[in-house]
Amino acid sequence: MNNSIYGPKSNEGGWLWFIKAITGLLVIVILFIHLIVNHFVAPNGLLTYADVVKYYQNPIIPIMEIGLVAFAVSHSLIGLRGIILDLKPTQAFINIINWLFSIVGVGAVIYGIWLIFTIASRGAGS
Amino acid sequence: MTEATNQSPVSRAVKWFDPRDRSINTIGFILNRITALGLTLYLFLHLIVLHQLADGPAAYNNFISLAHSPIFTFLEVLVVTAGFIHGLNGVRIALNSFGVGIRSQKLLLVSLFAIAIIVSLVFAFHMFTV
Repeated sequence: MNNSIYGPKSNEGGWLWFIKAITGLLVIVILFIHLIVNHFVAPNGLLTYADVVKYYQNPIIPIMEIGLVAFAVSHSLIGLRGIILDLKPTQAFINIINWLFSIVGVGAVIYGIWLIFTIASRGAGS
Repeated sequence: MTEATNQSPVSRAVKWFDPRDRSINTIGFILNRITALGLTLYLFLHLIVLHQLADGPAAYNNFISLAHSPIFTFLEVLVVTAGFIHGLNGVRIALNSFGVGIRSQKLLLVSLFAIAIIVSLVFAFHMFTV
């Protein structure tokens, strides 16, 4: 079962596995809406700056996108860590990965939220 | 697995991508890994390039016209394919983890690959004709 994708990885810990599963499901739901809206609802897709800013004026969209960036970044980094753990790295390397991925993850989500608010605020008053 | 523990991390990494003597479940596992790496790369590139939105209309619209080249569109179709394979396979793994559909794993795997291909073709047609 060492190489199984079912259930927690040998070194992953149950909580991280659980978070990965839940965020995976949430990403599927939000990504489905994200793809349909971006490619099919807008007449030619969200292809111009003005289209994107206008799209972000609906308050549900920034909330949804914040969820998407947080869930997608968490899921991808926990998953990447799981892949690295399968290579049987040393504990020192795992510690570095834990710190590095935590910083990258928190940084990416903060950056994503900043970008979302920046875009949403561009349309204010217009 | 005793053999595997004596191998270097690099040769263990290369072994993931070796499809010989693999069951369909293992191919599902390998595809899940490859799509995971591809989607992670895409996610971070996506976050970086969308910084163009903060730089204003000219920067973003220039980027979009670049992204409309056939190569970019083809790569985006690959992202859709990877997303559907990874997402549907994830649902299968979650269901199997709770004991659902274990007997029909192979059917589920073949079906999800078929769905991923069909959906990708629909997206490709739509993206190349818009």
